[in-house]
Amino acid sequence: MSQPEDVMTTPTTPLSTGTVLAPTSNETSVIQIFRYSAATWNTHRIHYDKDYAIKEGYPNVLVQSHLHGAFLAKYCTDLVGADGTLVDLSLRVRKFAVAGETLIVQGTVSAVREGDEARARVDLDLSETRASDGEVCVTGTATIDVPLSWVTLDASA
Amino acid sequence: MAVDDLVKENLEREVGVEYVENLGLVSATLTKRYAAAVGETNPLYRDAEYARARGYADVVAPPNFVPGVIFWTEGAPYDQLREDGTEADTHLPGVPAKGVRVMGGGEEMHFVKPVVAGTVITRRTVLLDVTARETSQGPMLVARYADRYTDQAGDELLSSVRTVLLR
Repeated sequence: MSQPEDVMTTPTTPLSTGTVLAPTSNETSVIQIFRYSAATWNTHRIHYDKDYAIKEGYPNVLVQSHLHGAFLAKYCTDLVGADGTLVDLSLRVRKFAVAGETLIVQGTVSAVREGDEARARVDLDLSETRASDGEVCVTGTATIDVPLSWVTLDASA
Repeated sequence: MAVDDLVKENLEREVGVEYVENLGLVSATLTKRYAAAVGETNPLYRDAEYARARGYADVVAPPNFVPGVIFWTEGAPYDQLREDGTEADTHLPGVPAKGVRVMGGGEEMHFVKPVVAGTVITRRTVLLDVTARETSQGPMLVARYADRYTDQAGDELLSSVRTVLLR
């Protein structure tokens, strides 16, 4: 096996408050939702039994709340790559999403402050939106720890 | 039926009670399957050689893998499952097996230490509070649980506050 590349390199422009980060796209599917249920031992029928999901008032099987969380976590860890870490992640599910939806995750930098030893803490506002109709399914916040060289600190920091 | 005062009272009796559970070993297969299910391509989660080159003993679990696992046990017999397919949860005592919908409503996670395959996890769970709300779909209970996860050395791995919605 060849040596894998690091996932992310230093951002070309410094992260500063107000920076709008590039969105990422997550294509969901029945297979993905099933595999996520299997990997997490989630036996709730609403995630694999379409007839049951319809009985509950949904058009198809539902994306798990933790899978929404996984998309947000992935967004953050892909952003920081091997040089950073995800410190905090909070999310709130506001609208359901079903299999087949494309879910767009996007972040905006809300604060940048100095961390420990040449590190910085960057706060992000996150959203996950259904591509089909623009409904926001999830809102969240995150704090990432990155090299100080990646950021422009807030004036008050 | 839906949630009612009795369900709320049953849950409220649990507020502040700590449950300590040994969740067992986090295997490489388990974490790699989780990463595959999410669509992760990060080699840290999938390639032990890469993870070792970065100072870890084995592959690392994606951050929300541990709180994402619904049940760590082998699973209840079929005749003990709820109508919705879920297991009777020790954290939801007194909640009827039929007629009450249980859903995740969100979570606040704080990550302290990476979870590496081979870790044996202990979870401490406390029900923080239960709040009744009226919604357009009827009465709803919002229960907030604090979970704290530690490894076999007693070091904290992560903590979370999760919101569970009952209708």
